[in-house]
Amino acid sequence: MRTFYIGDDVHLEDAGPEVAILVVGGEVDYEVSPQLKARIMRAIKAGARRLILDLSDVTFIDSTAIGVLAATLEKLDETGGGSLSVVCTHEKVIQIFEITGLDSLITVYPSREDALAAAATAG
Amino acid sequence: MRSPNNTAGASASELHVLARRSELGVARKYAEDVAQAFGLDEDSRYEFVYAVNEAVTNAIRHGASDEEDMIHMSIVADSERLTFAVRDRGTFVMPEVDGAETAAGGRGLALMASLVDEVDLHIDPGGTTVRLSKVRSSSIETARARAG
Repeated sequence: MRTFYIGDDVHLEDAGPEVAILVVGGEVDYEVSPQLKARIMRAIKAGARRLILDLSDVTFIDSTAIGVLAATLEKLDETGGGSLSVVCTHEKVIQIFEITGLDSLITVYPSREDALAAAATAG
Repeated sequence: MRSPNNTAGASASELHVLARRSELGVARKYAEDVAQAFGLDEDSRYEFVYAVNEAVTNAIRHGASDEEDMIHMSIVADSERLTFAVRDRGTFVMPEVDGAETAAGGRGLALMASLVDEVDLHIDPGGTTVRLSKVRSSSIETARARAG
């Protein structure tokens, strides 16, 4: 079992102030999804409009965490628009995105560089 | 609190935990150990553990009045099928479908149905029991071969 963690928010000067990268790892379940939500909402409140969640080290993500990602999209819509993309290569985690339909709402990238390039193009 | 009970041809065990979020990891570890002992392959184990986590999460969210309530888990395994039962004292409520976050219960049910071979929901005045069954891959392949 890998322990859940959220790294410090990453802001890249080249990417602009609206782009924020949150690095999350481990098992994201009902015990920790409130922490994930709080961190994402804090980033949005601080001005992030194009959020990149780097889930490269996430091995498990439950339905409550999927709910947090869906709520993030709603929050961005309600507050003037934005985007949420995810970096993930874990086959089973991607399968969960597919079963829940989240893959039709967010874009999943294989690397942080790919997600950043897309965010830069969108901006 | 685990209590194994092995009989000829089938095996069973139980685990009882407090209805606390912090017990989810314990429930997943229990499901993983049981699935491994049963002989599920890595993919099937992941799916089984995932479904169990959703059922236990649902029990903690909706089937307990406070963190002192208990969630009861039990396993029954025969030669082909592993069944995990999660019982709580709550009354099952159909998940809300409006709102991204409140729809999590609906997602949980959809996930359970997608990841195990059978989901059985039993509601009685004393509580709700969800049974999740996973069949050995070889059993599924055998059944498909017979059907096809």
